[in-house]
Amino acid sequence: MPGSRVLLVDDETVFTKNMSKLLTYRGYKVIAVNSGDAAIRELEQADFDVIVLDLKMPGMDGITTLKEIMKLGLFTETLILTGHGSIDTALEAMKLGAYDYLTKPCEIDELVAKIEAAWEKKEGKE
Amino acid sequence: MATPKDAGTRGPDTVPAPDMAAQRKANYARLFRKFVWLTILCSLAPLLLVGWGINLHYTRFARERMLNFFETQVDYHRKIIEMFLNEHSSKLQLIAQTHTRDEIIEPGALQTAFEIFNKDLWTLTDLGVIGEHGYHLAYAGPYDLWSRNYSKEFWFAQVMQKGLYISDMFMGFRKEPHFIIAVTQSNGDQKWILRATINTEAFRSLVENVRIGKTGQAYLLNAEGVFQTSPRLSGAIMEKSTYPIGSYHEGIQIRSLEGLKDADGKERPLQIACQAWLKNPRWLLVVKQDYSEAFGDVNYANTWTLIFLHVSALSILIVSVLITRHMITIVKRRDAEADRLNDQLMQAGKLASIGELSAGVAHEINNPLAIILTERQLLLDAANHFPMSGPEFKEQFDDSLSQVDIQIQRCKRITQNLLRFSRRTESLIETVDLNAFMREVVDLMDREARSSGIKFFTELDPALPPLLSDPSQLQQVFLNLITNAIDAHAGKPYGSVRLITRADSQRQLAEVHVADTGSGISPAHLSRIFDPFFTTKAVGKGTGLGLSIVYSIVKRLGGTISVQSEPGTGTEFTIVLPYTPPKELRESLAEGHHAKM
Repeated sequence: MPGSRVLLVDDETVFTKNMSKLLTYRGYKVIAVNSGDAAIRELEQADFDVIVLDLKMPGMDGITTLKEIMKLGLFTETLILTGHGSIDTALEAMKLGAYDYLTKPCEIDELVAKIEAAWEKKEGKE
Repeated sequence: MATPKDAGTRGPDTVPAPDMAAQRKANYARLFRKFVWLTILCSLAPLLLVGWGINLHYTRFARERMLNFFETQVDYHRKIIEMFLNEHSSKLQLIAQTHTRDEIIEPGALQTAFEIFNKDLWTLTDLGVIGEHGYHLAYAGPYDLWSRNYSKEFWFAQVMQKGLYISDMFMGFRKEPHFIIAVTQSNGDQKWILRATINTEAFRSLVENVRIGKTGQAYLLNAEGVFQTSPRLSGAIMEKSTYPIGSYHEGIQIRSLEGLKDADGKERPLQIACQAWLKNPRWLLVVKQDYSEAFGDVNYANTWTLIFLHVSALSILIVSVLITRHMITIVKRRDAEADRLNDQLMQAGKLASIGELSAGVAHEINNPLAIILTERQLLLDAANHFPMSGPEFKEQFDDSLSQVDIQIQRCKRITQNLLRFSRRTESLIETVDLNAFMREVVDLMDREARSSGIKFFTELDPALPPLLSDPSQLQQVFLNLITNAIDAHAGKPYGSVRLITRADSQRQLAEVHVADTGSGISPAHLSRIFDPFFTTKAVGKGTGLGLSIVYSIVKRLGGTISVQSEPGTGTEFTIVLPYTPPKELRESLAEGHHAKM
């Protein structure tokens, strides 16, 4: 839903910048960070409806970041976005509590649809 | 998109390299020799050693027995002869010593003594008393010898000198072979001789009646080698023998005689002879027999034992060679099987490592693609929100973004292929009606095939039951194969692709044949078609992953793939799939499905 708060986590700065713009054009409030540590810090300071999390990142990778996010006990739903396309890793992420996954490159409309679905689930939980 | 291959091939099975094959052949030959030598060492050698040893021992024992028999014969007959001569000598001496000359020459006295002598056996031919002058003083016997003077005879001087004399065989006045025993006796100054002529027939029977086989004979020789009895086979009494008598010796002597000639000059084969000298007279008793007859039984047993032994040894050798050859065949078969498994393992390993690499490459490409896609989307958003500078710019802008989208989708397909190859795509096991599935695939590809002048023919086995398999991956497999089959007709105006399904209910397997009438695959490409990134197509026409994906999917689904091809004629792929997928695949999928739920 436009107005939802989205935390975009990806080590590709150009990708996060562009995706932030695209989501912002579509009415989302987007904060983009480029590492797992930064994502945790943001989550500790502000509430988000949906997190879009890349799996393969230097330093704290997506799976570790997801584990830390789950430790925070938030209502936020997490979408896994990966260029690796690894079903195994994505499934592992879903076992840990991620809502769904997408593979790069994905159309903006596809991402928006997943964000909406995640938001609805999160709203349902609340 | 499947990777087209322009040539025919066989499966991933390979044969050893030529130098390795030669080395392996040498190893088999070495192994064969080792087995055979080991068999010889462990079974043949002991058998032959024991066999030869027993045979040698038996032969020696049997020969010793035969020689003992000869010695016994000679000893026995020598004793008989000596006993005969001693008995007659003693009797003559007894008569001479118990009678005076006058008493013995009284009419009837000598005749009485002669009759007493011959009472039991007719061993004397005659008996005479001879005076010092050499004439008979008395005579009992069949001959008229009164007028004969013996003083000049060879034996007369001998008996006068020795007191007892046994002569050799001689003809004498009676002109027939005979010998005498004579003793002297003195009564005061009168010296006389009591002479007995031994019945030659009776004496000779003691020796000549000895019968030993067909070639055995016994005879007596005097010190000059003259027969004193008639030999049974060759020669006659008083003839000179060819037997090499040698010098006098005590006891019994065994001799082997080779090249000995008969009296008629005929050469005898090897003979075994046993001889013993009599003390008085110096006669040599000889018992001899042809070697071949004497040891015939031994040689016969010996020969058959050795034949049996060597036939047994040969049988063992033949059996061991056959067994060894059979074992080597088994080893070769197992090696070939191991090679095949190694090849499969290597192929799987190669695919796995390239799969990892592909996954990494796909990821690295996907990230920039994702950025390009976002940039395109941003431009589209911007175009919607901000005015364009003119219609020509807008047209070019739209064209360029459209081309960007086309190329992104192309790259995406390539990365998806890479990821599919690296088994990163999702699988789902469902019930698949393979026949219906094949019809769908044909429908899907029919338009493309028609445009290339290709017709589909299907032979679908109605007995084929539904399989448990992954329809999306199967679709990928058959789309790749059919695409390849269509592309293999490049340059041909028309052709066909035949799709055949067969059920092997006994082994719970489904067979699918995809055969085309295309250009076939050259032998040089035979072993490489399943290798990732191998293609003979022009650059940009294919990634070379099509058949690698097919291979990895079929393997993953628990099946096998093989191929036959003839350049210029066509190619036929055969895929065999189990009715149910491997347990490990089902488990991994069940786990994934559970996670998603």
